[in-house]
Amino acid sequence: MRLFPHWLLGALALVSPLLSSQEVDFQREIRPLLSDRCFKCHGFDEEMQEADLGLHTFAAATRDLGGYQAVKPGDHAASELIARLISEDPKEVMPPPKSNKPRFSPEEVALMKRWIDQGAKYEEHWSFKKPARPEVPAMGESRSDHPIDRFLDAKRVGKELPLNGPADPHTLIRRLSYDLRGLPPTMEETGVFLAEHEKNPEAAWAALIDRFLASPAYGERWARDWLDLARYSDTNGYEKDRPRSIWPYRDWVVRAFNADLPYDQFTIAQLAGDLLPNPTTDQLIATGFHRNTMLNEEGGIDPLEFRYLAMIDRVATTGSVWMGLTTGCAQCHTHKFDPITHTDFYALFALLNNADEPEIEIVDSTLTKQRQEMEKQIADLEMKAVATIDEARYQAWLADLRGKSAPWTILPPLKAKSNLPLLEIEKDHAIYASGDFTKRDVYDVILDLAPLAGKAVTALRLEVLPDPRLPANGPGAAFYEGRKGDFFLSEVSATVGGEKLTFSGASVSFGKISIGSGEAKGENVYDGDGSTGWSTATREGEAHALVLNLATPLAGAKTLDLNLLFERHFVAGLGKFRLSATTAEGAVVALPSGTPDLLAGDEASLRSAFVRIDPEHKAHQDAIAKLRKRLPDPPTTLVMKERPPQNPRPTHRHHRGEYLSPKEAVAPAVPAVFEPIPEGTPANRLGLAKWLVSDRNPLGSRVLVNRTWQVFFGRGIVHTAGDYGYQSELPSHPELLDWIAVEVAAQGWSVKKLHRLIVTSAAYRRDSCIDSIQLEKDPDNRLLARGPRFRLTGEMLRDGALASAGLLSPKMGGPSVYPPQPGSVVELAYGNDAWKTSGGEDRYRRSLYTFSKRTAPFAAYLTFDGPTGENCLPRRDRTNTPLQALTLMNDPMFHEAAEGLARLSGTGGGQDPLGSIFRRVLTRLPSEVEKQEYLAFYETQRARLASGELKADAILSADKGPVTPELAAWAMVARVLLNLNENITRG
Amino acid sequence: MPPFEIMNESLRSLTRRHFFHDCGLGLGRIGLASAFSGGFANLAGEANAALANPLAPRDTHHGAKAKRVIFLFMAGAPSQLELFDDKPKLRELDGKPIPPSVIAGQRYAFIQPDAAVLAPRFPFAKHGQCGAELSDRLPHLAKIVDDIAIVKSLKTDQFNHAPAQLFLNTGHGLPGRPAMGSWLSYGIGNEADDLPSFVVLKSGGSLSGGAAMWSSGFLPGSHAGVPFRDAGDPILHVSNPKGYDARAQRDSLDLIRKMNERELGTIGDPEIQTRIDAYEMAWRMQSAAPELMDFSDESPATIALYGAKPGDPKAAFANQCLLARRLVERGTRFVQVYHSGWDHHSQVENGVKTQALQVDQASAALVMDLKQRGLLEDTLVVWGGEFGRTPMVEASAALGRSLGRDHHPQAFTMWMAGGGIKPGITLGATDELGFHVVEDPVHIHDLHATLLHLLGIEHTKLTFRYQGRDYRLTDVHGHLVEKLLA
Repeated sequence: MRLFPHWLLGALALVSPLLSSQEVDFQREIRPLLSDRCFKCHGFDEEMQEADLGLHTFAAATRDLGGYQAVKPGDHAASELIARLISEDPKEVMPPPKSNKPRFSPEEVALMKRWIDQGAKYEEHWSFKKPARPEVPAMGESRSDHPIDRFLDAKRVGKELPLNGPADPHTLIRRLSYDLRGLPPTMEETGVFLAEHEKNPEAAWAALIDRFLASPAYGERWARDWLDLARYSDTNGYEKDRPRSIWPYRDWVVRAFNADLPYDQFTIAQLAGDLLPNPTTDQLIATGFHRNTMLNEEGGIDPLEFRYLAMIDRVATTGSVWMGLTTGCAQCHTHKFDPITHTDFYALFALLNNADEPEIEIVDSTLTKQRQEMEKQIADLEMKAVATIDEARYQAWLADLRGKSAPWTILPPLKAKSNLPLLEIEKDHAIYASGDFTKRDVYDVILDLAPLAGKAVTALRLEVLPDPRLPANGPGAAFYEGRKGDFFLSEVSATVGGEKLTFSGASVSFGKISIGSGEAKGENVYDGDGSTGWSTATREGEAHALVLNLATPLAGAKTLDLNLLFERHFVAGLGKFRLSATTAEGAVVALPSGTPDLLAGDEASLRSAFVRIDPEHKAHQDAIAKLRKRLPDPPTTLVMKERPPQNPRPTHRHHRGEYLSPKEAVAPAVPAVFEPIPEGTPANRLGLAKWLVSDRNPLGSRVLVNRTWQVFFGRGIVHTAGDYGYQSELPSHPELLDWIAVEVAAQGWSVKKLHRLIVTSAAYRRDSCIDSIQLEKDPDNRLLARGPRFRLTGEMLRDGALASAGLLSPKMGGPSVYPPQPGSVVELAYGNDAWKTSGGEDRYRRSLYTFSKRTAPFAAYLTFDGPTGENCLPRRDRTNTPLQALTLMNDPMFHEAAEGLARLSGTGGGQDPLGSIFRRVLTRLPSEVEKQEYLAFYETQRARLASGELKADAILSADKGPVTPELAAWAMVARVLLNLNENITRG
Repeated sequence: MPPFEIMNESLRSLTRRHFFHDCGLGLGRIGLASAFSGGFANLAGEANAALANPLAPRDTHHGAKAKRVIFLFMAGAPSQLELFDDKPKLRELDGKPIPPSVIAGQRYAFIQPDAAVLAPRFPFAKHGQCGAELSDRLPHLAKIVDDIAIVKSLKTDQFNHAPAQLFLNTGHGLPGRPAMGSWLSYGIGNEADDLPSFVVLKSGGSLSGGAAMWSSGFLPGSHAGVPFRDAGDPILHVSNPKGYDARAQRDSLDLIRKMNERELGTIGDPEIQTRIDAYEMAWRMQSAAPELMDFSDESPATIALYGAKPGDPKAAFANQCLLARRLVERGTRFVQVYHSGWDHHSQVENGVKTQALQVDQASAALVMDLKQRGLLEDTLVVWGGEFGRTPMVEASAALGRSLGRDHHPQAFTMWMAGGGIKPGITLGATDELGFHVVEDPVHIHDLHATLLHLLGIEHTKLTFRYQGRDYRLTDVHGHLVEKLLA
């Protein structure tokens, strides 16, 4: 449909502004307009394209639409696009009024015309092109030879921005200390630096950088940012939000930063450490990165739906962290703005989708030794007990056991299949189940009766067996909501040649149901009621048995079909089990769990078994039980494990991203817009990880560089740190970004080198004072004519307060701790897990080690925009709110620090308490004017304290030392300093 | 350097210009000019660009009927079949299986869908001029049926508590999106300058959805819900620390202020002014909070109307309803009252009886009290849970459950009052088994669209750019429910 005849369009062209000869920059001038106002309906999502028109590529925009084109290169007058932009007809004008998109202004229309007239050249989006190393510009106004400064200077040419000089050395050391270590410098460090700085500023700065980079606190500080991306937390999230053990992953990140593990290896270990040849424990721990997704343990959920949602999160997080792309948009449909199709999203999903998610024990040699020693003590105790056995009682027990024991013959399974879990027949004829489980799993097993050929079977036995591959060593596969390793056998049916066998009785070696009041009787498994069943909760990691007596002995059959139903409001399938049969006559029963097999058991183990249950040996049993309780458990952590080749998990495209709408199967691949994973490299997590840090991914190093830049300068070169696509803000310094990106890879991906490169620039060291011209012309400081200044995080504020008060514990690593916070913080969370405030040193550990509960994050950090661990967080907000003021002013945690500062600074004669507090908190001494103000405040408060108007013993704790009005008044002074903007901000 | 006050003024105007120039946020589309009338400045997300107070009241897209919202969230999901939606057919079929054609393809949390039908446990009767039908468990609500709109046709996408509660609060079943209250705070600001714009109150047991239900998600943290605590300070750290009287606190603040002003003078960072203002608002909150929490100025008649017993946890819900009224009176924009205890998988009869006793009187009292104070006309009250409950019985030997009802996202009931809601109507209907909605369906997205509309916001226009996409409370869904509008 044509809007105007040609001649009219020609006439319109006459009134358009004169064409400028200046070349239009597609990247900067045209694409943002098209992306923002057109691509939603005329973009990459071909299904959604209105009027079958795309404007995202040259080919699409210039396609023949039946005698006319949306864009006719060289001829804007013949381009329908222009006609639509300027139409006054609400039915014709683009963007349509209902889209809520702004109309093109006359200037923008003129720009579009010029672009078309110049040939309507399309260029690939900058971030999809590989970074090439640009020429470093000549030295500029900052007179610095540093490449960063030369690039920055070049961008400032002609901007007439006053350039700040270097910050004073106090500010510099505080800045670098917070940026590299997340802590303020100590008075000693400051003293050394000031002295060196006076002699040779450059050498002093270089030495300071080396010292801070080598400090263990460096890894802790940088781990925090990475854990924001990794959505690390110590709980599972969702309703129950129960604790999980994945702190070994957190400690690995700290170690990796401190050891300067190259970023490419750092990446590969986290995405695919388990796929490396002979992976180290560290490489396995590192795969915890994608185990930081949440786990819904709410009763009744569909576990596979939440696994799917965790996978969606993994794809989105991978996209955000390593590709700077909002791939999450393509979950539901082809990305409207970026060249990521719906299928691309699920191809990336498929790369990550083929892993099981076990928990591993971490071997710790000290712990192992401790354990071995205690186990020996237990064995010794048992030996002693055996030596005191009353022979008559023992023989009586043995006789009784003999009477009850029946000879069991293992029935080899011929075939085993299920609705979903993979059932594998192992060498010992046990069946091992793995893979995905549901709330209702059905196992079908065909058993070979050949070993009992010619005999009449009277009873069947189902042994449920422990296995280290299972949660809590099994025997069940339950991993959430209920107890780990639990199972729930609802119904059993046995058929021979289509005839169902009748059970006349059942017994269990042990039975207990978790969650609920039901009884775990053997008869439950053939009562026709799926809500009753057999389970062995509380005794996970042990073998148990169910014996089913046949109403009529079974003879003459070759095979037996057994059907097992596991049905609960959570996953409750068996993980490992084995079947046997007996021909013994009479009512065969299951012996209590732990009873040795008379036929297999040797005399020694029979005697040991006896002392474990004989009431005469109660004292020994109690002593052993006590020791067992104290056996140190090795730490565990959550990891990824590639699935066995015989059980790959298929991936499908999901219509509208809905779990319940799987469509065609999708093969693993990186998005088609990029160069593919090279041939010969497997299309799995390892292939993906290697690709992400290869030069085939144009974004890998850029995203790393930009994220790092954001930490040091408060704002990324690309401001939208999680998005580098068409909708993102264009980089303020594209050449600089690319230069560093190329440099980083060339330098072997050393993160410490990258940090050193940035902090050695003059730009990093500038004074952060804001001149009114700078504020007017460059309020966001994109051009960096001044130094960066921004608010510290809640974690740094706490760490800084503790460090300056001499309270901070240097202890690194280990399980998370519970520093003090009001008990009411966790009251709103589900369940009644009280906040068990840590004592001793753990009260003062670095904030990195604070227990992170997703549904009730530590209040002080959250108030300062800390993470909840629910999503990948590429950039924290930096709000400035009254609740932050209340926290810093009134939270007892900060008072304790203020008291600590007073006690460090205010005791002993002849010192300068004010100067000491200033130096500890602000890294500098007070000016004369400040001195007067603070001393006046001090004097007022001291007088009120001395007169009893204020109580010194309420402000100070007597258990920390002497209580005097003077000390209390110094604590009040210290509190003021902790609340200053100067302390809250890293200037 | 100009004198401080002038400096401050010039910073403000500069900031204002900068904001107009730079702000690419959806908020920019709503009455920007008024965004700067507030007393205290605040920074929203941008690293170094100070904005004026993001909580300052702002103009709306169209005339607002409601200025504030009290959402009485019945967590756990009350049974509509025991309270609002009588189904004679269920009484007739009691104990018989539900026809398979009704239940094909549905997913349930606990029961098998072929479970038997369970008859409503209580008698129903018509009330008021409008003749709305309620069970005998809601005698207080029965007195105000002519002031409320009952919606029997709610639908949601989620069938488990945590996701469904998140969905009702944030429009999304996973954590990470801004809550309704955050969107409102972001969209139209706060009317109070000494209390938070979005307050969370709670009574009853634990909440499945957790803190993500009042999170500001990707919106700036200043829009997050502020939970009031049962123990200790109602707002964390709103009391002076141990040993500090008001004077010591003010003396300290004065020194902090003086030093911050001095730094502003030398450094010139507008962010410092924001900090100064935040500290002053904190001070005002410190004095406003005790006054807010002190019910001694309420008449005995008002206390009795709610059945409130200040300080008594047994009357927690009534106390919170009264506190909610006090909050909206003082300008808080959105009060979310959570009451848990409605998850009746077993013994639904007894459960509903107990919860209704805790909730009915105070819920009705809140509407009556707002009405007699002239606040109901611009205060929207919403009452309801995250989903409904099944027409089928839940029973499980393993869990020791009997005569209960499982989760039912396909159809459930809520009521609303005030703030532009048409009073005295019942909207929507379910089929004869109460299984599916057959008339005027209201999806949670539609509820959100309608709620925003009543507050003067066009739900498709209140957006926030995050990770390359413009997000809204209603995502890509939501229709205004015209029939609910007065």
